[in-house]
Amino acid sequence: MHELTWGLPVVAYLFMAGLGAGALTTSASVLLRGGPSGKYFDVARYGAFIAPIPVALGSALLVLELGSFQAGHWFRFLNLYKVINLSPMSLGTWLLTAFLMVSVVYAYTFLSRNPLPGDTRDMLRRLSAWVGIPLGIGVAVYTGVLLGALPSRPFWNSPVLAMLFLLSSISTGIAAIILVRALLKRKVQSDTQTHNYNETGFLLSATDTLLIGLELLALFLFVMYAHLTIGNAKAAIAVIMVGGELSTLFWLWVVVIGLLVPALIELALIVPRIVYQKAFYSHRAVDILVPVSVLIGGFMLRYVVVIAGQITYPIGL
Amino acid sequence: MTNNATHLKHGRRDFLKGLGAASAAVVGATTLPGKALATATDRKPRYGMLIDTRKCVGCHACSVSCRSENNVPMGKHRSWVEYIEKGTFPDVSLNFLPRLCNQCSEPQCVSVCPANATHIRDDGIVVIDPDTCIGCKYCIQACPYDARFLNPETGAADKCDFCVDRLAQGMEPACVASCFNKARIFGDLNDPDSGISRMIASNAVSVLRPEMGTKPNVFYIGIDYADEHDIRFQKQYIRVTTHRDGNARR
Ligand code: SF4
Ligand code: SF4
Ligand code: SF4
Repeated sequence: MHELTWGLPVVAYLFMAGLGAGALTTSASVLLRGGPSGKYFDVARYGAFIAPIPVALGSALLVLELGSFQAGHWFRFLNLYKVINLSPMSLGTWLLTAFLMVSVVYAYTFLSRNPLPGDTRDMLRRLSAWVGIPLGIGVAVYTGVLLGALPSRPFWNSPVLAMLFLLSSISTGIAAIILVRALLKRKVQSDTQTHNYNETGFLLSATDTLLIGLELLALFLFVMYAHLTIGNAKAAIAVIMVGGELSTLFWLWVVVIGLLVPALIELALIVPRIVYQKAFYSHRAVDILVPVSVLIGGFMLRYVVVIAGQITYPIGL
Repeated sequence: MTNNATHLKHGRRDFLKGLGAASAAVVGATTLPGKALATATDRKPRYGMLIDTRKCVGCHACSVSCRSENNVPMGKHRSWVEYIEKGTFPDVSLNFLPRLCNQCSEPQCVSVCPANATHIRDDGIVVIDPDTCIGCKYCIQACPYDARFLNPETGAADKCDFCVDRLAQGMEPACVASCFNKARIFGDLNDPDSGISRMIASNAVSVLRPEMGTKPNVFYIGIDYADEHDIRFQKQYIRVTTHRDGNARR
């Protein structure tokens, strides 16, 4: 078995930071797009509450994983805040910190007994939404740049990786919102409530399908770019190709369960609405299973990538 | 061979003088006809190592002395030796590849550090400040030579530092001093008259993974570059053993 420099805490962190960043980006976008009427306000609220939690937990995991922390120097990680340099990790630390602050402020604006569009916190809410979108995208992209910047790790060393992580982040963020929405769905709804619920459901599912499509494309580029090259990249990507150590994990869990299955189900749900203008309806069980499978796929993507990068190495001595 | 031996002795003497005595003495001792005199006083040293793998017998004296000199925790390595076995009897070869940090001129381990805990000194040695290092292990990922590890006692990244403490005392690195066959030559690459510079000038030398762009300052003579990837293409038995346990060989 291989000894890994970065293990499960880092995998979990990359997944959770991406999820939180995606949830905030989605929430802020639908809030701003919904305009003063407050269309999609509920989705924005769910996203706002979800966002800071995984990011904070993931960051905490990361601190626990630090060598200095494990050796008993509990506050040495604060050295990160004495420096700004061009290390992806330094940039990421600052981005992440800003993101956490903004996402907490953003969540706070929804935290009253009856938050409504246009209430007293509306200004602050919109302001933090405007700031939150670029920060969310920044956090999602940086998780990919962190790994992609290293020639010593040929599996990671691809510019497509950051794009892939960005798409996966937003898609998992949306999945988390769909999941929470379905879990908290009221048993008894008025007709307007049902109508709104389904309309919002359509928006979320349609966006998620599009993102998964793009993600499949990015994944295809990532794999083919390496596989069609010769040398380090090709040798490294072999670990997820047929016969490779991680090929089942990758093809079954990331591609089939994480991408193809949810994409096909969502497609089946949204096509009648798009093509035949039928009302969108999705069963609650579907609204739970589809996001769960997207989330599993997102986690497995980080898992496979983080592990594969560390058990492959450049060719030659 | 005799020629080499003289060079080696010469280089060693230069080096010790260069560290201990006034620079004027170095000029005196190393001046050769036609070589510039001024260099010794105004240039900075750039330390490097040359490992002549033809002379290495794989005895691990370097690994052991490094461990005891630098208190390297068990299971971690600043210095280790790899074995490359090839062929089927009677056409066989066994090559040794002693490894350590390459003290690269463009080390990515330094540029990725988010805490500025690792830097290149003026003399070219890449060092880590264990009190600043947060132990994020990003540099360990960034080194293409697997030269770094996390020291569980300090919680900081750790690696070969050319024995800076010994250098400050005017001594050679422990692994160099302990190599009975003088396979390791340490010295100043900026001094054209140092033993190491002259050996490099008069031999075919190479560095590990030059394509990584790190510009290593540890040079080798006579490496066999065969590795596991070659097994598929060279139709012969190849086995590479690393004495760097834990990590996948890289
Ligand atoms: S060998 Fe590795 S640790 Fe040493 S200077 Fe080069 S990149 Fe850094
Ligand atoms: S482990 Fe230490 S030296 Fe290495 S990158 Fe992190 S803070 Fe810098
Ligand atoms: S120079 Fe010193 S630290 Fe580096 S391998 Fe040799 S003995 Fe170890």
